[in-house]
Amino acid sequence: MFGSFTEDQLQLRELVRDYLRDKSPESEVRRLMATDEGYDPAVWTQMAREVGLQGLAIPEQYGGQGAGWTELGIVLEEMGRALLCAPFFSTVVLAATTLLESGDEEAKQQYLPAIADGSLIATVALTEEDGRWDDSGITVPATHTPDGWTLSGAKHFVLDGLTANLVIVPARTASGISLFAVDPAAAGVTRRPSITLDETRKLAVVEFDTTPARLIGAEGGGGPVLRRVLNFAAVALAAEQTGGAQAALDMSVEYLKTRVQFGQVIGAFQALKHMAADVLIEVESARSAAYYALEAAAQDNDELPVAASLAKAYCSEAFVTAAHQNIQFHGGMGFTWEVPAHLYYKRARSSEVFLGDAFAHREALAQRIGV
Amino acid sequence: MTIEQERATGELADEVRAWLAANWHGTDDADWRRRVVEAGWAAPTWPRDAFGRGLSRADAKTVAAEFAAVGAPGAAVETRAFTALAGNTIVEFGSPELKRDILPKLLSGELTRGCLLYSEPGNGSDLAGLQTRAERDGDVFVVNGQKIWTTGGHEAQFALLLARTNWDVPKHAGISFFIIPMDLPGIEVRPIKQMTGESDFNEVFLTDVRIPAGTLVGELNDGWRVLQTALKEERRTMGFELGARAQGEGGRAPIFTASDDLIEAARAAGKLGDEAVRQNIMRIHSWRLVNDWNAVRAKKEIEAGGGSSLASLGKLANSRILHESWALKFRLIGARGMLYDPADKAAYEVDHQMMWSFINSIGGGTDQIQRNIISERILGLPKGYEPDRGVPFRDVRKGGTARPDGK
Repeated sequence: MFGSFTEDQLQLRELVRDYLRDKSPESEVRRLMATDEGYDPAVWTQMAREVGLQGLAIPEQYGGQGAGWTELGIVLEEMGRALLCAPFFSTVVLAATTLLESGDEEAKQQYLPAIADGSLIATVALTEEDGRWDDSGITVPATHTPDGWTLSGAKHFVLDGLTANLVIVPARTASGISLFAVDPAAAGVTRRPSITLDETRKLAVVEFDTTPARLIGAEGGGGPVLRRVLNFAAVALAAEQTGGAQAALDMSVEYLKTRVQFGQVIGAFQALKHMAADVLIEVESARSAAYYALEAAAQDNDELPVAASLAKAYCSEAFVTAAHQNIQFHGGMGFTWEVPAHLYYKRARSSEVFLGDAFAHREALAQRIGV
Repeated sequence: MTIEQERATGELADEVRAWLAANWHGTDDADWRRRVVEAGWAAPTWPRDAFGRGLSRADAKTVAAEFAAVGAPGAAVETRAFTALAGNTIVEFGSPELKRDILPKLLSGELTRGCLLYSEPGNGSDLAGLQTRAERDGDVFVVNGQKIWTTGGHEAQFALLLARTNWDVPKHAGISFFIIPMDLPGIEVRPIKQMTGESDFNEVFLTDVRIPAGTLVGELNDGWRVLQTALKEERRTMGFELGARAQGEGGRAPIFTASDDLIEAARAAGKLGDEAVRQNIMRIHSWRLVNDWNAVRAKKEIEAGGGSSLASLGKLANSRILHESWALKFRLIGARGMLYDPADKAAYEVDHQMMWSFINSIGGGTDQIQRNIISERILGLPKGYEPDRGVPFRDVRKGGTARPDGK
């Protein structure tokens, strides 16, 4: 129920927070962000098999634990706080949700248990060169041949596109947008890592040249599936952004209490106290927006599309504000590579436009409430 | 346990019913009110030495329900506005004489119109720097000073007064708290004309006002502590508006309807298709909703036992909601906004509310004071430089507005 958590949910948060404190300290974030793969395979496997995070919200019949979006939101908030470097959002939020929404029983049985046990990294290659998140951005054609479907074209900004073992590709057929599963080891696939602002979040360009692909769900049925997936993903990202915003605020407050100038800690200066109070309002409000949207996602009720856009818009700006002010509080040190303030700022900026920015989501919000 | 509680509730209901059968004859007069107060039904949650029965809030509701069932007035009134504000303060700090004198009048409805003599022209945000003085002269205090922002001062029967009784100690330590009648010689109430053109507040001038020593609430010079209880009541009666927004028409959730007023205003102006206006409305829509949801979370945190830091954020967050909502509506009515003619009721309301929004961002402490409180009490940041800290108030630079000549 919105506004409070059960004992189990509170315990889950503690468990994940402790685990990530251990496995994703700043030193690990910095080590992993400097690699092309951007994650630690041993931690990834342990996370799935011992902590059970990848399968948390996957139904039990597909090898998961059958929890819901509220629980997944708690995990994502903690991952955002810790800037975890791992293909979790791509695999669990984007790919697993797409499979679950696809209505393709065979695909669910084939892939979901592998996601739950940590043996499969997956992603959805939605965007193309123009970076649009809606249907009109999808132009890659799928061609039906006697041997099955093939894809040709390029997908850009593909989250964890370099490391995924399964790439779900929305493409165009005669009937409209359809979803395809592609094995990146198949013929005609070229992948190259993109150089990213946020090095903790890996993107890639994935190209296909007459690549064999397997249709997921009904041909031409991909549009409605993707729209639902994008709603869930926006809520998930809002939860992650909330965690990042809280971490940036915590870092700010810590610095304000310890940095001494003019013979006193700078946290005693009203100019900075007032900035901090304003950031706190944004962080708590972002949390409320994310939790409300998670509740709508968990219930899958008629408020979900509205709440998703509201939360994505609000949390995007709140995280940017918290991360921006964190650098400002730190002064010159905030501009250095050494202080991790820039890591949160880059994650905030990258997340701001990922899945659509606040302006786009506020316009969507207006349309979704009927204006 | 549950069964015992239910039986206890049943016994209470029986007792109230029996008492009503013996005492209520269908006439609400002074004698009836006196009997309700003396029986402890007017304030069931107050202690027995303060005309109460020491019951729980749930039991008080049982009492109220029994009275309502037979149409008898006057039960469980201790939560009402000034009765709560003045009453709870006296219950906690008042002398036996003060309790005997004032509480029955508050509970019977004889005293209902009160006012607060706290703020002064020289002391708004810095309330503890107040300079109205109360000096002991035999069995009275002689009060001199000026108060301001006194809501209802012109019609008040009584007042809660803060005055300085010791100038040789730091500011918080020399203040006393009084409850006084407003019809004493030397009290002059003058309405303040506001920027809106109306007068909701007053200035109160106190000149050689002689108040009985028995009007002191709590110990001499302990007024700051007494005030904290009174402020708590004030905040409680203000209601906090926790999780306030109700469902809209047709049972639609607030997430769809919370900004219908802004959407209507934009539609009336023919600007609902304007991208900037749409963004502005949805931004305010989001602020309204997240502030409500913060309040829901605060309420649940409080219910779960323990306080909630979220409860301190609502007033500050509300300032931008109000100012931005009315500013948007002001722009949407266009040139009509340049007029302030009550004949154009809708445009007049927009102009009026645009100005009235300052009540939220200034009244009850400015947004800047609220940011200090949030940063210090929630985030744990240190207090800034306080030149008056620990200094005898006599030696502190006094509040006021410096004149250009420096005097």
